[in-house]
Amino acid sequence: MQRRTKFIGAAVVAAAMIGLTACSGGGSSSGSLTAKGPIKIWYSNNEQEVAWGKATVAAWNKDHPDEKVTGQEIPAGKTSEEVIGASITAGNSPCLVYNTAPSAVGQWVKQGGMVDLSKFSDGAKYIEARSGSQADQYKDADGEYYQFPWKSNPVMIFYNKDLFKKAGLDADNPKLSTYADFTATAKTLVDKGVAPNAILPAPTSEFFQMSFDFYPLYAAESGGTQLVKDGKSTFNDQAGYDAANFWRTLYADKLAGQEKYQGDAFADGKAAMAIVGPWAVSVYKDVNWGSVPVPTKNGTAADKTYTFSDAKNVGMFTACQNQGTAWDFLKFSTSTGNDQKFLETTGQMPMRTDLATTYADYFSKNPSYKLFGDQASRTVEVPSGPNTVAEMQAFRDAWSDSVIFGKGDVKTSLDDAATKIDQLAAEK
Amino acid sequence: MTTTTGGAETAPSTIAKRRGPRILGKHPLGLLFSAPYLVFVLVVFAYPLVYAVYIAFHDYFFTAPGAVVDRPFVGLANFVDAFTDPDVIRSFGNVGIFLIINVPLTVVLSIVLASGLNKVTHLKAFYRVAYYIPYLTASVAVVAVWLFLFNGSGLVNQILGPLAPSPSWLINSHWAMPSIALFVTWKQMGFYILLYLAALQNVPNELYEAASTDGAGAIRKFFSVTVPGVRPATVLVLLVSTVTGANLFTEPYLLTNGGGPNGASTSPVLLMYQKGIEQGHPDEASAIGVVLVVLVLVIALLQNRFAGGKD
Amino acid sequence: MSKFQATLRSAVLALGALVFLFPFYYMIIGSLQTKQDASLGGAFPHPSNITGANYSAINDRINLFSGLLNSGIFTAGVLVCTLIFGVLVGYSLAVLQWRGRGVTFALALLVQVVPFQLLIIPLYVLITRTYGLGDNYLGMILPFAINSTAVIIFRQYFLQLPKELFEAARIDGANEFVLLWRIALPLVRPALVTAALLTFIGPWNEFLWPFLITKQASMQPLAVSLANYISNVAATASNPFGATLAGAVVLAAPVVVLFIVFQRYFISTDVGSSVKG
Repeated sequence: MQRRTKFIGAAVVAAAMIGLTACSGGGSSSGSLTAKGPIKIWYSNNEQEVAWGKATVAAWNKDHPDEKVTGQEIPAGKTSEEVIGASITAGNSPCLVYNTAPSAVGQWVKQGGMVDLSKFSDGAKYIEARSGSQADQYKDADGEYYQFPWKSNPVMIFYNKDLFKKAGLDADNPKLSTYADFTATAKTLVDKGVAPNAILPAPTSEFFQMSFDFYPLYAAESGGTQLVKDGKSTFNDQAGYDAANFWRTLYADKLAGQEKYQGDAFADGKAAMAIVGPWAVSVYKDVNWGSVPVPTKNGTAADKTYTFSDAKNVGMFTACQNQGTAWDFLKFSTSTGNDQKFLETTGQMPMRTDLATTYADYFSKNPSYKLFGDQASRTVEVPSGPNTVAEMQAFRDAWSDSVIFGKGDVKTSLDDAATKIDQLAAEK
Repeated sequence: MTTTTGGAETAPSTIAKRRGPRILGKHPLGLLFSAPYLVFVLVVFAYPLVYAVYIAFHDYFFTAPGAVVDRPFVGLANFVDAFTDPDVIRSFGNVGIFLIINVPLTVVLSIVLASGLNKVTHLKAFYRVAYYIPYLTASVAVVAVWLFLFNGSGLVNQILGPLAPSPSWLINSHWAMPSIALFVTWKQMGFYILLYLAALQNVPNELYEAASTDGAGAIRKFFSVTVPGVRPATVLVLLVSTVTGANLFTEPYLLTNGGGPNGASTSPVLLMYQKGIEQGHPDEASAIGVVLVVLVLVIALLQNRFAGGKD
Repeated sequence: MSKFQATLRSAVLALGALVFLFPFYYMIIGSLQTKQDASLGGAFPHPSNITGANYSAINDRINLFSGLLNSGIFTAGVLVCTLIFGVLVGYSLAVLQWRGRGVTFALALLVQVVPFQLLIIPLYVLITRTYGLGDNYLGMILPFAINSTAVIIFRQYFLQLPKELFEAARIDGANEFVLLWRIALPLVRPALVTAALLTFIGPWNEFLWPFLITKQASMQPLAVSLANYISNVAATASNPFGATLAGAVVLAAPVVVLFIVFQRYFISTDVGSSVKG
């Protein structure tokens, strides 16, 4: 009795407090699309992108003393989306962030945190001139661009040539294009004992992991269909079941491990293959690797194969005062010349229609990037909308259950996930 | 020292309104002493908490300053949404498993080790450092080692050989939660040992002497003198370990990479993080949080009733 | 006390110490390896497989000094606030009788029970938007300023002091500050040490809050920069596991060293109480 009154008392005091604090929120005027002046930007924190970011900012500042750009690394870890989300709420986000994940943008738009780039007089025109029809995937439901399609990291299969040779496989023309061939090759690799895993994508429960096992294969098998289209799940079709069953076989036959490897399995020779983007070229210098597109059921030709884009974009935030300058800088940083510097410094693919021809020189000098560059024109993005992350998590949970740990029926589990995702997609 | 009116002014107004010499109690100074803490709690704790409760009953999401959105009152809809999700129910069950393993183990082991440590004469400093180190170290740091020790081809399984569970500990739906419970027991033990050690200093030696004269052996003395003697500490240990368990987050987030294998080690707080921060549904997350807080309060009150005694 | 009991006790304690220390031993060994060795032999140092490269890699990428300094400021701020204000509350909750005492204690308990993840965004908005304390040590310290567990510990220990002690002193005309400072505090020294250590750990190892509140790398405490290092470097280091463990060692080392130093103070408290008993 006594104790209960204490708790009620505590609640009353606390409630009185909310009245005091609720009125004190500061108002902030929103910036204008034409205002010019100094801006702040964040760029990604990996070494190469930092180098590019610094150089680009310095080049801009030399010619624009009145519109100074201050750049810094994004405060990131496993959780950079969290920092951006919180800074939107607090109204202290920078003008531009060069590395926004498309999966998070829908939420930020809903929060009122993103500037609609289509509102700039040349907004849509500039974006579409640069990225062509690929830009479509980055429009929201009303056809507006709240994110600037910037760069992609189309994923492919890397294989370790030395291990393939050791297993007596043809390392120059590996049989990896159909599901049956891929599985047979994987089996040979493991049976011959050259590596404990044929391939080892992270079998963990984070929502984004689906992008590195199911999604690239589904994109390829379905000929470039998004996970969710017009508010409806697409993956509960034959292409989805086939891709899922392919992975289930790999897990069931112990060709892919159910436990995450602490370290880099491909670099350490714990896996003979890996699903990677172009960043891998510079990371796996010590591995004698080859690359092929992701497999499909019947072996789609390389120049027809779609994959997951793993794109990162540029977002402009409503907290930005000088949005005119921000837009100008955004265009400056994605000009033909600066895109080329980006490609040369980072090896990631600027999202341009004319990638292969504009930078033909680069690709002939760096043949290992050629396949990625070619693949960059056939990529599929995560679904848009405010519930992308929830949708991907729902998928991942079902996947973990039925595919990785082989419980229940794959078809039922994908169908159930599709129902759940349809509901999420219908929510505003 | 008599009444200090200055203290009354800094205090919350509801309490200070009435008049009279003794109206603030026998020692009004207590209010002055506590004023900084009260202000602190109200500002950084009560306000966000009340706000979180408000969120739980509304269709709510965070917005940029200046954005105008409708946030209708939705009654219990967020609670219904959250608790019709089997994953949420499961996460509460997981915490139940955790507490059943972790709390008794913590209390028993820490009281035994503390009383052993209290009597030992050699290497006292060494032992204390040894026991305390896991508690001192950030989870981020020790999780890496545990992952390495307990993975499929890790040292533990190599020692166990054929006895090792398959699939391995952290990806085995039966073992994932007990593994986390063991990890947390190991990690937090130092703190509880320390609490008990300090409490043991206050158990009068005469009680042990009296027990000896009555012919009690070491084990009898432990149960009839030590255990009752450190009861206030036990109440605290129970409370703190229950709360730590209920608020489990870092371990399923890092050790089992987001509550794997397929949800066998999710915790309510992990789901709150996923829904509230990753997925942009703070309303549902707050609903889970509110239920969690209420449940923990109930457990804490029950513990206090049965283990507590005078207060 | 029989010989057998003493032996048993030593055996149990030694086994416990082994269980508690082994992962740390393993952490250090792993952080010194050129190449990761997962086999049983990997648990022992091998001359051909030892390197300091994992540590120098951290030093190249992170400003360890500013990280330590930021951690120090963050932790010291919390420690000072907790020891001053926490002791005051603990004392008034245990010894003094005043209106609102029950509510205050209930609040202190409630603070324990509520998960930080529930409060974090409202708190973030409050501190950055309302108080404008983003990228500021004050904003970093504020949510942790007074550790409620420490408050409860103080209360618990003050409660254990005999009431008569205070009444006698009050009759002698001592005021409450004198009582607290001269009589009560010296008697609860173990509680002070316990609470100080407990309070120290929180901000030192805290990751999420300083991570959210600091945008500038120069403001980040060590735990944040090392966690970032661990999650970013893992993909690119030549021995990712060694790099991760080296980061872990760097984060743990200052705390362990401080604890070992504090240990002396600890023993002296014990000597006092064992003489008494």
